[in-house]
Amino acid sequence: MPERQEEMSLDKRLALVSFSKDPDPFIVVDTKLCQKCETKPCLYICPAQVYSWQDQLNYNTEGCMETGACLIVCHKLGAKAISWKYPTGGKGVSFKLG
Amino acid sequence: MSLEGFEVAVVGAGPAGSAAALTLAREGVQVLLLERGTFPGSKNVFGGRIYSYALKRILGDQWKDAPIERFVRKEGITFMTADSSFSVEYEARDPKGSFTAVRAKFDKWLAEQAEKAGASLITDSRVDDVIIEDGHVKGIIAGQDKIPTDAVIACDGTTTSLARKAGLATMLEPEEVSMGMKDVIELPADKIEERFGLDPEEGAAHVFVGECSGGLRGGGFLYTNKDSLALGMVVGADDASMKAIPSHTVMDRLRNHRKVQRFIRDGKTIEYDAHMIPEAGPKMLTRPYTGGMLVAGDAAGHLLNNGYTFRGVDMAILSGVAAAQTILEARKRKDYSAQSLQAYERKLRDEPALKDMYIFSKVPRYLRNNRLYGVYPELICNAAEAIYSVDGNGKRKIYKELRAQTKGKVSTISLIRDLLAGARTF
Repeated sequence: MPERQEEMSLDKRLALVSFSKDPDPFIVVDTKLCQKCETKPCLYICPAQVYSWQDQLNYNTEGCMETGACLIVCHKLGAKAISWKYPTGGKGVSFKLG
Repeated sequence: MSLEGFEVAVVGAGPAGSAAALTLAREGVQVLLLERGTFPGSKNVFGGRIYSYALKRILGDQWKDAPIERFVRKEGITFMTADSSFSVEYEARDPKGSFTAVRAKFDKWLAEQAEKAGASLITDSRVDDVIIEDGHVKGIIAGQDKIPTDAVIACDGTTTSLARKAGLATMLEPEEVSMGMKDVIELPADKIEERFGLDPEEGAAHVFVGECSGGLRGGGFLYTNKDSLALGMVVGADDASMKAIPSHTVMDRLRNHRKVQRFIRDGKTIEYDAHMIPEAGPKMLTRPYTGGMLVAGDAAGHLLNNGYTFRGVDMAILSGVAAAQTILEARKRKDYSAQSLQAYERKLRDEPALKDMYIFSKVPRYLRNNRLYGVYPELICNAAEAIYSVDGNGKRKIYKELRAQTKGKVSTISLIRDLLAGARTF
């Protein structure tokens, strides 16, 4: 096999996107509810790994691509723990090549 | 800018919103176009292709000024297993029928056309709610601003909060949405043309089905821009969640496949994007209008994935135009009631390009059959292997070979049922 495209981790790919931090927390999770969640669909649907699990649900909205899918899967397949809205106007992700 | 005196507020400066604002402004309507991103297109992501006819329809010859990456000459589909693939390619007589684009450039340009026609664009503005009086939408609320208008056109995308606030929708089901992800990979123009067998300015669109989605409902895509490739995957939200497969890992499967590596090798990834796609069609709303408000574009499910063409931007443009025309007629009558605006639904069904959504309305259900993404691509590749390979151990006739390949993989009844349903659906 000749040269391959360089492998790039998700973290590195996420670092390619510009984000402007919203001081207003636009995603809020009632993580107590997640303790009883058997499916934890947010961990799998999010393409930017905003959600992770280590004894409890952790989330970091910096890196959020605002797809809104976490809200849907959480409320329909999970523990209904996520409240979600778009970031304040002008904040959040900004794509240059979408 | 004073936010008073606007007759219509259009929420979202994507293709639907800008087309609606353009249509209204041309007729002298005072129209406010609101966008939550820092510029139109900054929040938008798509695979990569726009069908030209819709743009021609609203702009005439001026459509050629659009920020076009490449006109699509070649259409390809590849069925793949982990280590083999089977591809079909179609070369179009006239490539001008569709072109690849980048939304950050295209949406910005289209919004500028609306501004030139007289629409007022405000960016960095998130619309939070609609003003409702006696069940009738009377304007919008954006942060501290309450903006009264005669009518609102909601073009606020898949997650459409406005349609929900106006009581036209409930939250979508996970099986009604897909997750789309893409890498943009920088590659010199001459390399793109060499690898895809294209002349300068010509482009290719390619679809991948099979191993790349890791058993999930979905597939991959590859579009050629001027000097970059848009490589992506779309997977069913319910499928990824319930099978506990992190959605972004299917990108690795696609990227690492030999067939794909040949296209992208020594390219440099310069952006990673994601977006949610509604798959339910117009059914996602109880109806696309209410007193004082219409819904258009993704927010109304006005897009079409019929399994082989993926249409969003052209349909969004035409649904935005239909919404604007409905408003123009209502304005003459000075009546923005639900009864007056219900003409919108008729316009959608009468528009030949949008009618496609209703013709292919059974497709989403058909595409929920996971055999399409696992067993069938594998069967196709294995059958090709059996047909083309000669190992000296004797060959069977093709029909016998095909029968042998299906054994244990899929029952004859399922196969026939899928074929017949397919014939009815597509």
